[in-house]
Amino acid sequence: MHRMVEIYRERCRTGIEGLDHILNGGIPRGNTVLITGSCGTGKTTLSLEFLVHGALMGERSMYISVTEAPEKLVENMINYEFFDKKLITERKLILVDLQEIYVKLGLEKLEFTLEDVNVLVSQIVKMVKELGIKRLVIDSITSICYRLTSKEQIREFILHLGKELSDIGCTTLLVSELLPSAQGYSQYGVEEAIADGIILLGNMERRGDLLRTLQVIKMRGTTHSRAKYVLDLTSIGVLLAPLLKGGSVEVR
Amino acid sequence: MSVSSRIVDKLSELPPASSLALYIDVNSYFDSLRALVDIFATKNDLYVFYISSMIPSRNIVGIFELLGIDSSRVFFVDTISHLMPVKTEYSDKFLYIESPTMLENIMLKVEYLLRKYSDKKAIVILDSVNSMAIHNDLKILSEFLHIFVTFLRNWESYMVIISLEEQTTEDIRNMLNFVTDEVLEVKGE
Repeated sequence: MHRMVEIYRERCRTGIEGLDHILNGGIPRGNTVLITGSCGTGKTTLSLEFLVHGALMGERSMYISVTEAPEKLVENMINYEFFDKKLITERKLILVDLQEIYVKLGLEKLEFTLEDVNVLVSQIVKMVKELGIKRLVIDSITSICYRLTSKEQIREFILHLGKELSDIGCTTLLVSELLPSAQGYSQYGVEEAIADGIILLGNMERRGDLLRTLQVIKMRGTTHSRAKYVLDLTSIGVLLAPLLKGGSVEVR
Repeated sequence: MSVSSRIVDKLSELPPASSLALYIDVNSYFDSLRALVDIFATKNDLYVFYISSMIPSRNIVGIFELLGIDSSRVFFVDTISHLMPVKTEYSDKFLYIESPTMLENIMLKVEYLLRKYSDKKAIVILDSVNSMAIHNDLKILSEFLHIFVTFLRNWESYMVIISLEEQTTEDIRNMLNFVTDEVLEVKGE
């Protein structure tokens, strides 16, 4: 008789109670997870909360921002009641502007070659190793992929990055932008196939009401709920409630 | 026995985490509020998380003032003010939901209050199931109440669902019988 036995993998608790419950304890440590959704669905907020909780639990965390200045991010985090500015000053939470990395590496160009991709991955991995980072967020991966010229390059980039980070036990969230009209779970269709996990954030319309939703589409290394939840962004963090079943039309 | 006494006595019999369907008539509305918010909550040192779907929260505060009820322990989850041209002020004391049809958001706002004000236990009052039934299909409302009551049980909160006798249909009665632990009917003079 064949029996499926789940081998328990150490979890990286997100600190978002509802999400940890959905994930049966948290994200399996070392996983690379795509946080995907259209604008205004809470991707950055959820990712920042993951890092702040990590830093508070003693796991050094790093946020690599492509689109927002670190100062602006700090302003957003101040709204959290559990946020302590000391996390930044004591470098338990490190905010990095990717533009500065580009300048340092001489990658200020619109299109990357495969060699450039490898240089970028090596630099990110080097920073993670040197700083002892346990949680990493790249916001957004879509902005980086925009500079890659083929799906093969995107595949190589995410595969290479994910493997290197997993090998050193770093749990990574890759924020992915989706167009409201997009099919699938990522802009280029490659990211979703390579990532260990996909957390889809969306907007759902029900009788004229627009609800923010969260759904874990896949997560390697753990059993998890695949149901859709309604999410609220509050000063005490992300809260989740089960979506009630009713006639509904989805709007991404 | 007065309306207030009957309600307080009934709730006092119940352990925390219990849910009560409270059928009242129009004449007993004020006495019921006094019993729940003033007498029972004060006696047991409970926070009151008041879900208003019939009357805007500001008006309920006005009623409390008229009745001489201290509303300092009361927090509102107001589902109706956004539908009206009523001035709204945002604070933990008044949490607004865009519409009474956003049932999950009611749960989320109450969870927010339970988490943030966790130093005391709470009584959650839904006023009223009849106005919720105007805006929601009974099927989704039943689903909501079932999940909500179960959720509040985990927080050891009391839950009181007010139903106005004159507006209570058989379907509403059946629904409340199914989701709540106890039923009490009171009539004013």
